[in-house]
Amino acid sequence: MDILVGLATVLTDPVLLCWILLAALVGMVIGAIPGLTASAAIAMLVPLTFYMQPLAALAFLYVIGKSGRYGGSIAAILFNTPGTAASAATQIDGYPLARKGMASKAMRVATVSSVIGDFTGDLILISSFAVIAAVALRLGPPELFAVYFAAFVVIGSVIGNSVARGLASAALGILVNMIGLDPISSQERFTFGTFELSNGVALVPLMIGIFVLGEVFAQIDKPAGRTVMADEPDSAEARARNHLSFSEYKPCIPHVIRSSFIGAFIGMLPGLGSAIAAFIAYGEGKRRAQNPEEWGRGALEGIAAPEAANNAVSGPSMAPLLTLGIPGSTIGAILVGVFLIHGIQIGPTLFLTSRELVYSLFAAGLVGIACYGLIGYFGAAFVGRFILRIPTQVLYPIIFLTAFVAAYASRGNLFDVVVMVVAGFAGWAMRRFDFNPAAFVISFVLAGGAEEAFRQSLLLSDSGPAIFVERPVALVFIVLGIGALVFRIRSHRRQRSDPKAAEEPS
Amino acid sequence: MGWAPAIRGRFIGLVLVLVGAGALLASLQIPLDQYGQWGARIFPLIAGLAILVTGLAELWEGPAIRPGSTGGGHTARVLALLALAIAYVWALSKVGYLISTAVTAPLGLWLFGVRRPIGLLAAALLCPVAYHLIFFEALGVFPPLGEWIDLLDLIRGY
Repeated sequence: MDILVGLATVLTDPVLLCWILLAALVGMVIGAIPGLTASAAIAMLVPLTFYMQPLAALAFLYVIGKSGRYGGSIAAILFNTPGTAASAATQIDGYPLARKGMASKAMRVATVSSVIGDFTGDLILISSFAVIAAVALRLGPPELFAVYFAAFVVIGSVIGNSVARGLASAALGILVNMIGLDPISSQERFTFGTFELSNGVALVPLMIGIFVLGEVFAQIDKPAGRTVMADEPDSAEARARNHLSFSEYKPCIPHVIRSSFIGAFIGMLPGLGSAIAAFIAYGEGKRRAQNPEEWGRGALEGIAAPEAANNAVSGPSMAPLLTLGIPGSTIGAILVGVFLIHGIQIGPTLFLTSRELVYSLFAAGLVGIACYGLIGYFGAAFVGRFILRIPTQVLYPIIFLTAFVAAYASRGNLFDVVVMVVAGFAGWAMRRFDFNPAAFVISFVLAGGAEEAFRQSLLLSDSGPAIFVERPVALVFIVLGIGALVFRIRSHRRQRSDPKAAEEPS
Repeated sequence: MGWAPAIRGRFIGLVLVLVGAGALLASLQIPLDQYGQWGARIFPLIAGLAILVTGLAELWEGPAIRPGSTGGGHTARVLALLALAIAYVWALSKVGYLISTAVTAPLGLWLFGVRRPIGLLAAALLCPVAYHLIFFEALGVFPPLGEWIDLLDLIRGY
């Protein structure tokens, strides 16, 4: 029933609806620009949301995240360049179909599958949120720390080419969070006598640096290339060829349902994210397909499976964020900052203190899915053509200037701009040397809560760190974290010893 | 940096070992709490130790790690953009937002390959005005004022 109240709140507020519609459009366009991600857009727009009502601010950024995930498929299908890592699997079948003159049909399959996947993920979140929140309320500091530990290990080790560099990225994120005054004893840590550092490193300029300025550095580091769009001619024959009938889409439905659940499950696990969900769904879909030989050559099912999965991640990834304060993705990490800026404490008590806001946010997500679905179904090709008209040599300098003013606007402090520049260069270096910027930022966000839980646990314990293995739930999460690390190291070694496996995405 | 993956892996490993060791040493400088406990030190020590261990792992595994995928080989352009970014931050504090942005906008476009003088001139005029109107007028953010001179002061007659 709460969701109906949330829907009523959203649908009766014209201003909020306008923000959601704008977010659906902005997310789609930015997700479709190769190189730019929804995370970058959200990081840049966070300072603007300081001036909005909390629900409007959160709904605006949440829907950009959803729409941005979908927008990546536009670039994958039309430009043969995945707009986001999550849409790389869509490219495998999407671009061959576009080259056959069926770009619009491919886009329609991607749109319908994304919408079904996203709705499924959100409905799973809405139906299970209260249960997860009730369980989260029973977790004590040792269990919470064990969850944080598992999150650090999974986030650091699962994504990227190198387990060591991924874990180092996570540890660096923790270390940077430690800068400033210790929240318990007020001892200075890593300030080196600098007054500005005593307040610590602020989240917003750090994120703008890593995701926005880092991407601008990465773009100038790339050789100039021209993006070519695989578009179909505007003729009656092309329109007929691109019409998507139900009988054509019917074989995709089992793949969409299976992939939606795969995506929703992966979304609940911190750090795995859309890209992994999309590739697992693609692999599983191809394994079970009746026409596996057509996958990779323009099979509609090969577009439907990864698109449903990568969008189904969106909703469930909010579950660990809202119930435990543990963001499962970079977008979640940014939303942590937005919640805090608006004075909303996320974690186990959020369900009790801000129940209406939470369900209104979920409702805004559902409305946002409908918005990007409609815009995408009828206008994806137009968005693609619009993006081709934006010269990157003008776009990235504008983003460069926007990053500075956005970092400054977050607190009206030039030191934040310095932090943003340092983080931007670090973000570029991380991408260049196969570190993991997402693990760095998520760990930065998690570190404060993890340290608090760790120190509270030690205060509760008569046997020191043994408390983490004496409590069964804590032990399960510690073992899960170590198990994930061992599994990842073994699969990494296997990939290296088998050159064919090494070519597949990790 | 077109290094062989083996050398690159070992170099990164060495850097991580140095950062980890530095973090461990800096963590040990954090004062003990009022009860003489390591409270505020523990987490930084764990993070420093983790970096040190991953650095050692990188040194051990370095030669076998696959080469990075994102290097584009235009490090000089990256460093030029970094220099522009640092100069921009410095200029913001000395000459304020309008003048520093009017200089930085065309330089940024030039670094990205824009050479048309009209385009560069338009950026020098339009960028500071547009950002000023959006952030400092519409949103009401207090602009960064120049220590030496600020065009905004002159415009407003201060």
